[in-house]
Amino acid sequence: MAYCVNCGVELEASLEKCPLCNTPVYHPAKEEKSKPASPYPAIRGEVARVKRTDLAILITVILSCTALGCGLLNLFIFQMNAWSLYIIGLCVVFWIFFIPAMIYRKLPFFLMLLFDGAAVAMYCGIIAYLFDGGEWYRLIALPIIIIGVVLIMAVNLCYRFLSRSILFMALAVVLALGIFCVGIDASIKNFITGVPGITWSAIVMTCSLIIAVTLFTIMRISRLREEVRRRMHI
Amino acid sequence: MNKKETWYKLDLSANVYPTLQKRKFSSLFRITIALKEDIDPVLLQKALDVTLPRFPSMKVAMRKGLFWRYLEPNANPAPKVQPDIQNPCMPIRIKSNDRYLFRVYYFKNQIALEVFHSLADGNGGLCFLKTMTAVYLRMKGYEIPDGEGVLNIEEQPDPEELEDAYIKYANSRVPSKRSQGNAYRIHGTQEPFYTLNIIKGTMDVSNLKAVAKGYQVTITEYLNAVLLYALLEKQKADRVWKEKPVKIAMPVNLRNFFPSRTMRNFITMLYPGIDPRLGEYTFEEIVKQVHHFMQYYINPKFLNADITKNANTQQSIWIRMVPLLIKDLIVRQFYIKVQNKQSSAGLTNLGIAKVPGAMEKYVVGFDVLMGQPFSSRTNCAIVSYQGVTSVNFASSIIEADVERYFFRKLVKDGIHVKIQSNRR
Repeated sequence: MAYCVNCGVELEASLEKCPLCNTPVYHPAKEEKSKPASPYPAIRGEVARVKRTDLAILITVILSCTALGCGLLNLFIFQMNAWSLYIIGLCVVFWIFFIPAMIYRKLPFFLMLLFDGAAVAMYCGIIAYLFDGGEWYRLIALPIIIIGVVLIMAVNLCYRFLSRSILFMALAVVLALGIFCVGIDASIKNFITGVPGITWSAIVMTCSLIIAVTLFTIMRISRLREEVRRRMHI
Repeated sequence: MNKKETWYKLDLSANVYPTLQKRKFSSLFRITIALKEDIDPVLLQKALDVTLPRFPSMKVAMRKGLFWRYLEPNANPAPKVQPDIQNPCMPIRIKSNDRYLFRVYYFKNQIALEVFHSLADGNGGLCFLKTMTAVYLRMKGYEIPDGEGVLNIEEQPDPEELEDAYIKYANSRVPSKRSQGNAYRIHGTQEPFYTLNIIKGTMDVSNLKAVAKGYQVTITEYLNAVLLYALLEKQKADRVWKEKPVKIAMPVNLRNFFPSRTMRNFITMLYPGIDPRLGEYTFEEIVKQVHHFMQYYINPKFLNADITKNANTQQSIWIRMVPLLIKDLIVRQFYIKVQNKQSSAGLTNLGIAKVPGAMEKYVVGFDVLMGQPFSSRTNCAIVSYQGVTSVNFASSIIEADVERYFFRKLVKDGIHVKIQSNRR
């Protein structure tokens, strides 16, 4: 029978320290060899996974039927133009967006993001094909999609490997938004004038940089960080 | 409830719990019964299979409608009893476990029942566990009569056991106020996903009763006062920027005030508290404050006004017409922004657990555990059996400050406390 010298409570025989104040249990008369069994189980439980295969199959069937039905309608009845490509493309985009995430939950985030980016690029490609907009697709849509995907990947990398604090994530997102605006601006300018360059996005980027530097300063100085936390807590 | 009905509406309390459900959180509670002998899992499984049909409110699966969730009878065989685990009350997935919303575990001489709060409250859970244990003991060849919460599994369930007692009894003309104001909230270091730290203190009921009597209050009032004292000490030690009232969320069993035999939820929350902004409180003053609060609020009139408030909300045509998706968002936000902020800790007292006289010699004790708290705080659950009171604190934070202040105060008042814990 052991008592905690701090708390005055009797401690169950298997305890090596007081769970209330972490004071180690020391019993000079107790032999070290026999450690009594804990009254709690040692096995750790795992939360059951929900099977989403059925829902994935149902969504796949619905999307396939929609795509096939529209394709057939376009081929045999409403033959004015290739309108069914929009719907078929949309079905493919939906499928790529939702099904891998449902079935293969362990699929790396980057691979999923890459698939999603490819799906969006494909859909823009369909629009470009139907409207004869190859140049628009090559000079605006594709660069913006690539920049977007790369930036999301970068923010995710920061979240995983650098820091998960709210301030740091805000800094990363603000910078990413600034760079994204520069990307959009440069692509549009390149498309219109044929010369890459930026105009309005310079202002956005400047604002992003100011915010980023402010956030960085707050992050670095702990006194300032505490002050902001105190004043801004929700 | 109409016998032809093949589905049940969720009761007033039950509607809230699924909206709070997330990957890392479920509203669960656990009741454990310890027997004299080690548990035979094969017999326990048989006992569960036989007992479950007697409890239609447990043999259900939860489904989503367009406007509300509902429960429908679950045709799957009873869930498998499992060896107990280190991390009790881990989240339950509504669609897994053959859609059953409870689990049964065994460990050495203990049987533990974990129930999703939408199915039942502590009273309903305790009744199910006692009946299942009685069936198990009968299978082992012992003579166990019905009574004291052990139901006859041969008889048909009484429709009253399935009723939504809130709707039946909520008829106050003046609903009570919804918001109680914000309370002090414990800040602690979060443990990894679904780690539940338990600290259990056992003490002699007669010792506890004598000390409570010294303050001229009941055991529940005394333990409430000790917890408030612990929370006040914790707030002082935290050196908070701005002090707030400390309050306890305390479920009250409404069956003691309204004659219902429902096995589903029939509780309401009271919030006894102390406001340190009014000045320094001595422990005697805290006890007095809690005593008068309980005397004033725990009576059928006030409790009726409290349940009427929720019943009115659920029955309003405007609220009923809102799609479930939006209801979920609103209820969840209301819980996070208002309900969760108005208490600093939870305390539930199941009172004295009773079993039929012939069963007493096979039962060593009971334990009750409020599951993982929604926010970083600690929940306290109390049950007494055969002269021993067990107080279980459950939290998902590393710090055990509140528990320390609580048990030290009991020791200081002359109560002998024995501590056990799953903390490492």
